[in-house]
Amino acid sequence: MKKPSSLKISISGVRGIIGDSLTPQLAGAMAQAFASYVGGGHVIVGRDARTSGPMLEQAVIAGLLAAGCQPVDVGICPIPSFLVLTKECRASGGIAVTASHNPKEWNGLKFISRAGLYLTPHQIEEFLDIYHQGEFAFVGPERLKPVRTEPHPVEPHFRKLLAHFDAELIRRRKFKVAVDCGNGAGALLAPRLLEALGCEAVFLNAEPDGSFAHASEPTPEAIAEIRRLVPRIGADVGFVQDADADRLALVDEKGRPLGEELTLALAAHYVLGRRTGSVVCNLSTTRAIDDIAAARKAPVFRTKIGEINVVEKVLASDPPAVIAGEGNGGVILPEIHPCRDSFAGMGLILEAMAATGKSLSALRRQVPSYVMIKDKLEGSAEQAYRLIVLLKKAYEGRGRTSLLDGLKVDFPDHWIHVRPSNTEPIIRVIAESRSAETAKAALRRLKGQIAELRKRI
Amino acid sequence: MKLLKIGISGVRGIVGESLTPKLVMDFAAAFGTFVNGKAVLVGRDTRISGPLLHAACVSALASTGCDVRDLGVCPTPVLQSLVVKLRAKGGVAITAGHNDIAWNALTFINREGTYLNPFQGAEVLDLYHLGKFRKAQVDDLGQVLDLEHYADDYFEALRAFLDVEAIAKAKLRVVIDACNGAGAVLLERMARALHFELIPVNTEPNGFFPHDPEPRPRNAQQVVSVLKVVSADVGFLLNSDVSRVSLVSETAESLSEEFTFPLIANEYLKTHRGPVVTNLSTSRMIEDVARIRDCPIVRTKVGQSYAVHALQQEEAVLAGEGSGGVAFRAFHPAFDGFLTMGYILETLARQGKKVSRLVEELPRYHIVKEKIYCPPARIHSVVSEVKKFFRRHEIDASDGIRVEDKTGWVQVRTSGTEPMIRIIAEDESKDRARARADEIIQFIGVLAP
Repeated sequence: MKKPSSLKISISGVRGIIGDSLTPQLAGAMAQAFASYVGGGHVIVGRDARTSGPMLEQAVIAGLLAAGCQPVDVGICPIPSFLVLTKECRASGGIAVTASHNPKEWNGLKFISRAGLYLTPHQIEEFLDIYHQGEFAFVGPERLKPVRTEPHPVEPHFRKLLAHFDAELIRRRKFKVAVDCGNGAGALLAPRLLEALGCEAVFLNAEPDGSFAHASEPTPEAIAEIRRLVPRIGADVGFVQDADADRLALVDEKGRPLGEELTLALAAHYVLGRRTGSVVCNLSTTRAIDDIAAARKAPVFRTKIGEINVVEKVLASDPPAVIAGEGNGGVILPEIHPCRDSFAGMGLILEAMAATGKSLSALRRQVPSYVMIKDKLEGSAEQAYRLIVLLKKAYEGRGRTSLLDGLKVDFPDHWIHVRPSNTEPIIRVIAESRSAETAKAALRRLKGQIAELRKRI
Repeated sequence: MKLLKIGISGVRGIVGESLTPKLVMDFAAAFGTFVNGKAVLVGRDTRISGPLLHAACVSALASTGCDVRDLGVCPTPVLQSLVVKLRAKGGVAITAGHNDIAWNALTFINREGTYLNPFQGAEVLDLYHLGKFRKAQVDDLGQVLDLEHYADDYFEALRAFLDVEAIAKAKLRVVIDACNGAGAVLLERMARALHFELIPVNTEPNGFFPHDPEPRPRNAQQVVSVLKVVSADVGFLLNSDVSRVSLVSETAESLSEEFTFPLIANEYLKTHRGPVVTNLSTSRMIEDVARIRDCPIVRTKVGQSYAVHALQQEEAVLAGEGSGGVAFRAFHPAFDGFLTMGYILETLARQGKKVSRLVEELPRYHIVKEKIYCPPARIHSVVSEVKKFFRRHEIDASDGIRVEDKTGWVQVRTSGTEPMIRIIAEDESKDRARARADEIIQFIGVLAP
C-alpha cells in the first residue's frame, strides 16, 4: 500500500503535519493567495491552542501583509467566536490556524469568507486556482498595512449567545456545571458565558496551552477525569469541548458520557419541541434525528460530510432550518450563526434542563437510543473511491444506497457508511443500529468485505 | 527589473517586488538550519515593511527549531552585542541601513556578534539553494520570547567603555536626527546613560523616513537648522539601524560622512596602537591619521562583513568606512553608531575643543562620489572593461578597479546593494577629483550607453 500523504488540501482547508508537510512557507503562500483572492481589506487571523499555532500564525500574517491586507490578530480564539467576529466586524475574510480534533503534530488552515462562513467548495476552488497558479498580490511599502490586534474577539459572539437564550430562566436554576476545555480555545469564552448564565462552573484543562491533557476526540477514556468530577461535585452536567470549541460532548449528572451523537439529538429534541422548521445534518449523523423530527413532522435534510455542506444547506433549506449540525457533537444554531458552536450547544442543553425541569439523564431518556460504531482504516481517497465502486455493487439490492458522500447503505434496522476522510489520509467506516450486536455485526461484515476487496485492487 | 541582492551577509531587496515572504522564509530557514537550533535574536528597524519580514522570519526560524528572542525595533549594533551577552546562536537584523524606504534586508549575525564571514555566508547560501531546511517536530518547534528592557545591558557596557564623567562634566548639548529609524526608540536612553542634553529630531518610529536614512550632508538640513537655533555643540545624523553616523559641527557645517572615522581615529590612536582597517573606497584622511600614529592601514573590500573580519583577523584596533560606520575591537566587532557618537562626545569633552577645531586638525581632501545605472547582467564585465582605461597604471582589483597616484585615487566598483556602478575619486585638488570621476563616467558611457 502506498504511504498516505501527510498533506491534505480539501474543501475543509489545509491540514498537514508539523516538521513534515505543513511549513511556514506553505502557510505563507496560502495566506498570500487568500489575500489575493479576497482582494485586500481586513483579514481576521486566529488560532487554536496548539503549540505550533504561533509559528503558523506568523507565517499567515506575513503572507497577508505582503498582499496588502491588514491582518487583525486575535490570537487564541474559539472558532465559532472567530466566525461571528469575521462577519460582525465586516472583514474581507479570515484565516484560522487550527486542526480541530487532529492529534497535536497536525495543524491546518481554515479559510473564512466575509460572511463568517468557511469557504464553500466553489469559493475554495477559486481560491486554490490562485494558489496553484502561484502569482500573488504583492504590494510595496506605500500600500503595506500594519498588523492590528483585537483584544476582545469573543465579544460579538458572547452578546449573540446571551441575547438568544433565556438567561433569566437558566440563572434561576443555579446549575452546577463541570467543563473540560481540553486545553483548547474554549477556555476563552466558557467561563464568561456560564457565569452570565448563573452557573457555578468547575473547569478542567482550562489552560489554553495546547498541551492536550487528553486525546482531543472525546472518547470515554479521554474524558475519564470529568466523569469522576461530575458526581463528586454534584454537577448537573459535564461539558467537554474540543480544541477549537466547535464541538461539544456531554456527561450526565451521574458521570455517564452520553456519546457525541446525543448532543445534537438532545438539542434537536428541545428546539423542535418549541419551533417549527427543518433539521439539517450530514449522512453520518445518528438516525435518532430522523425519529425525533418525524415525531414533530419536521423535514430532515442530509448532506455530505463537512461542516460547510451542512451550512450551505442550512442557508438554502425550505422550510428554514431551526437546528442543524453533525453527529460529532457539532451543534449549529442558525439563529446565532450558521456554524458549529459548542457554546450554543451548552446554552441549549442548559435551557432545555431549565425549561423542562428535567435532569440530563431524564432528557436523554426522551430520545431514541442508538449505538454507533466508528472505525478508521488506513488508505488514501483514491483507494476509498475504488473500494466504494466495488462495495456499491456488493450491496446493490440489499439496502437503500446513497453515493452522496462515499457509500451509505440504509437497512431497516441499521445503516453503514464508508467514505474517505476530508482531513486525513484515512477511510472512515461507520455502522449504527438500535442494537449494539447488529451494529457490531454490520461493521464487522463491512470491514471483512473491504479487506476482501482490497486484495483485488 | 526586480532588484534583489544576495550576498554573504544576507539578502536585500524591494518589498512588493523581489523580497517575497517565501524568499524571506527560505533565507531565515537556511540561517536557522545553519545555526542548528536554539536561541536566535531577531530585531528590526522601523521600516513599514519590518513587521512583514519579521513575521516571516520568526515563523521560519521557529520551524527550524530555533527559539526566537524577539527584540522588536532594535538597532543592529545593540542586537549584535546582545547575541554575545545572551550567548545566542546568532541573530537576524531586519534592516536596509541607509537604503531608501522601498528596500529591506535580512542581515545575519553569527554567535560572535559579527556579520557572517565569507565562509559562513557561503554555507547559508548553499543551504538556501539546496532548499533542504531543518524541520523541527512539533515538540521541538522554536518558541518566541519577547525580550523587554533589552537595552539595559547594552548601555551599561557603553557607560563602562566611555569616560562618562568627562562627558557629564562638559554639559554637552547634542542634536541627533534618528531619521525615524531604530535609533529613535533609544536616544533618550543614550542621553541618560551618557549625561548629555539631547535635542532629538525625527524620533517617530512610524515606518516612514523624513529623508533618505543616509547620514551625509545632503540629508542634514533639519539638524543644521535646529542646531543653529539651540546653539548645540554637535549634531549627528543616523541611518535606520544606527550603524552609520555623520556630523554637523557647532558652526552648523554639515560634515561629509568621510570625517566620522578619521575624527575618531585621530583621538583613539593616541592611546591605542595597532592596525586600522578601512575599505578601498574610503578617504585618504584615515591613512594620514594612522601614519602620524605609526599605525598600519589594512584595506578591505566594501562592506561591514569584510571590515569587521579584518578587524578581528588583523587584531586591529579600529575598523571604519567612509560611509560613517566605525567599529572598536575593544568594545565589539560591529559598526556602532551609539559608540561612535559617544566617543565623539568623549573627545569633545576631554579635549575641550569644538568640532570645527577637531576637523581642522585633519588633512582635507576632496572626494567625489557618483553612481550610474548598469543592467545587473552586465555590471561586472563593464567594471572589468574599465581596466582598459588604465593600461599604464598599477591596478588594485580587490574590489572593482582602484588606481592610486601621489595626489589621489579613483575607484570603480559595483554597488553591493543596487544595480549601480559606483565611481569614487579623491584628490587634494577639487578639480582633479572631479576630473578623475568624469573621465571614468565618460568612458563607461561609451561602453554601456
